[in-house]
Amino acid sequence: MTTDIESGRGKRPRRSFGLARYSGLYIWALLIALFAVWLPDTFPTTQTLRSVADDQAVTCLVALALVVPIAAGIFDLSVAAQLGFSLVIAVYLQSQGIHPVISVLVALASGLLVGVLNAIVVVKLSVDSFIATLGMSSILAAGVYTVTDGQPIVNGISEGFTQAGRGTLLGVPLTVVYLAVVAAVLWYVMEYTPLGRHFYATGGNPQAARLTGLRVDRITAYAFILSGLLASIAGVVLAAKLGSGSHLAGPPYLLPAFSAAFLGATQIKPGRVNVLGTLVAVYLLATGVKGLQLAGAPPEINDLFNGVALIAAVALAARSARRARS
Amino acid sequence: MSDSQHPGAEAAVPTAASAGVASSVVPALDVVGLSKTFDGTQVLTDIRFDVLPGEVHALVGENGSGKSTTVKILAGVYDPDDGGAVTVAGTALDLSDPSASDAAGLRFVHQDLGLVAALDARDNLALGQGYDTGWPWRIRWRSEGAAAREALDRLGYDIDVTQPVSTLSISERTAIAIARALSPRRETPAVVVLDEPTANLPESEVRRLAASIRRLSAAGIGVLFISHHFEEVFDLADRVTVLRDGKVVTTRPVAELDHGSLVELMTGRTLDVDHVAQPQSELRDVVLATSGLNGAVVRDLDLTVAGGEVVGVAGITGSGREEVARLVAGDLSPESGEVVVAGRRIAAGRPDLCKAAGMSYVPAERKTNGIVTGHSVAENVVIADLRPLRRRGALRARLQRRDADAWIERLDVRPRDGGLPIESLSGGNQQKVVLARALRLSPTVLVLDEPTQGVDVGAQAQIRSHIRAAVAEGLGVLVCSSSSEELAEMCDRVVVMVGGRRVRDMVAPMEVDEITAATLQSVAEGTA
Repeated sequence: MTTDIESGRGKRPRRSFGLARYSGLYIWALLIALFAVWLPDTFPTTQTLRSVADDQAVTCLVALALVVPIAAGIFDLSVAAQLGFSLVIAVYLQSQGIHPVISVLVALASGLLVGVLNAIVVVKLSVDSFIATLGMSSILAAGVYTVTDGQPIVNGISEGFTQAGRGTLLGVPLTVVYLAVVAAVLWYVMEYTPLGRHFYATGGNPQAARLTGLRVDRITAYAFILSGLLASIAGVVLAAKLGSGSHLAGPPYLLPAFSAAFLGATQIKPGRVNVLGTLVAVYLLATGVKGLQLAGAPPEINDLFNGVALIAAVALAARSARRARS
Repeated sequence: MSDSQHPGAEAAVPTAASAGVASSVVPALDVVGLSKTFDGTQVLTDIRFDVLPGEVHALVGENGSGKSTTVKILAGVYDPDDGGAVTVAGTALDLSDPSASDAAGLRFVHQDLGLVAALDARDNLALGQGYDTGWPWRIRWRSEGAAAREALDRLGYDIDVTQPVSTLSISERTAIAIARALSPRRETPAVVVLDEPTANLPESEVRRLAASIRRLSAAGIGVLFISHHFEEVFDLADRVTVLRDGKVVTTRPVAELDHGSLVELMTGRTLDVDHVAQPQSELRDVVLATSGLNGAVVRDLDLTVAGGEVVGVAGITGSGREEVARLVAGDLSPESGEVVVAGRRIAAGRPDLCKAAGMSYVPAERKTNGIVTGHSVAENVVIADLRPLRRRGALRARLQRRDADAWIERLDVRPRDGGLPIESLSGGNQQKVVLARALRLSPTVLVLDEPTQGVDVGAQAQIRSHIRAAVAEGLGVLVCSSSSEELAEMCDRVVVMVGGRRVRDMVAPMEVDEITAATLQSVAEGTA
């Protein structure tokens, strides 16, 4: 009497994704090889490498801010608005003559605060996370506009602050260094601490998690707070990189970040949104876009490529999951 | 076999004629030489049985015996190996075509029923057969309502067809699923396949459903009935086909069998279910106490469970029995009253505090409350306590594997592979995983809600023997169950709930019928 026979899943359990698990890495390598052969003069250069890595660091940080709530089974649509909010706070305070370190700390604190507010609305007031964070996005947009008065802030930004956004360390752009540090810490938290496992368990079945004695409410709150903190880090990094603050900076990051998180959920640990998969997703997409742009494709190739890749990857993952099950 | 053999309430007495006349009557369903191989593993070997018009034919077997695979082949989900044949009312079925079985007159009612919970009976019936519409695409609600009421009336159910089905009882929902299978706007089916329709039904509702199944057979429809519940098999079926390890052991008129011989045929061994001696464990301190507990139904419940004791809660649906475990374990917040676990008073609605005080909880409805979906078996075993899996602050995959493997081995979870997704296990094995998670916490008190619901006989016996072993070591157990058989077998004491109140206590040894009688008899007293 073997149970797997009854269910018909037999010898092909879903976890043995084999190639699919790392398909992103293979495709990435393939893309690099392809463009290197096609555009030997412009593509395989340190210049390209550095610009791709640097350009995508902020998108990566926002996507990582989404990894935590999605793992815990909730949405945080306010990450991009939080990025914009902490960005303008960091810049505005400096323009008012406040020390850049304090400005940065206040900007990070604003992210924590927004996370706490999201948590209160969702956990205490029992508002669906999608709706709560949608509302929060709108509120933050109003806040950003109030701070900037609709005008870009360009004066009074500390030299050291912009240097921290544009400099390099041993040839590596500092934004990439920040990303590496944040990603490493988050990866450890998600994979090697009980908190990370509790996020995933809560996302898997909140009712079962609660009945097994996990404090699901608290775990949900942590997810929002962590997400808020990560989004505000992204905001500060972007502020340093741009050296200015605009009310238009945040919102464009929302969709690419969601795309990356969902695309990342098909990689490394298929079926689960995860840190490494998200990094692979962002850089896979960026490499493709960069190559096409260097080959002379028009600027709209960016959005087109991202959209097609997301849908294709998730559809393929769904297909292989279905196959593994039947 | 004629309709006249199915009068009214009593199940028809099957006769040797059922088998004898099989050759002269065209069977409603005839299965010959069905085999199935998955990746080189033969799971079905030469399955053959037939269902006569108007016959209720039970298909029984332990989990993994091949029942589900057989049903899935009939439903066109799997292709069988070459050589098998299925005929429906004399017409050969094209087994490679998934829509063929439906067209040929085979209808299925699956265990999950496949209803849309937020919609009402009219919608759910129409989703199977299409809406009755006027111009322009306007749904004729009045005629839909009348049709739905009539279809349900034929099954003996009087249901408000405008209520969302989520507000209905499980047997009412099952009736809607059966009504949809019968689909008045299409031809009358030759055979209705009921795949464990009663797995989650309390006994009183089983009776209602049984009556409607008899109506089907009285109308000349063959019924293939897959069940874990022997009472229903003996109550309803004319003949029984027993599967074991993917083979037909026998097909016999039910009258030739009794409980013991059926268990023996299913398991291939004698299973002393009813007469396991209760280990005389020493009673220790009170580990769980409730006082004046009030819930939505439960009224002023006082309960105590001592270490080394198994206390049962019996009661029909609506008696408050379903609520007791959830109130005690902190799933629901009581309106008033308190729960004390190992001397510690627990704040309302806090399963985490219950756990901290030494309580483990195995909730009912494993799919929604028990298993953590999208996670592996091993992760499900260990999730309640990750502390032992840390070395220098970080969780270690190796420690998790070792820890989980030990529990998988101990509770005989099959297959023995902690890396498999939890959803790939059968219901009985999933339940063992949930129990492993609970026992792994080394609790002082274990609260079980319908612990062997939808679990086959062999796994039930295993689950109970593990609980018994833990009890012998001083664990206190509270078990709430709709199965009198289970309570009689497991418990030292049983508390009978009626109308939200504890009306009667029973002490082992108890007879199954005594407990059932107590839950029902008292209803009559309560309403009188």
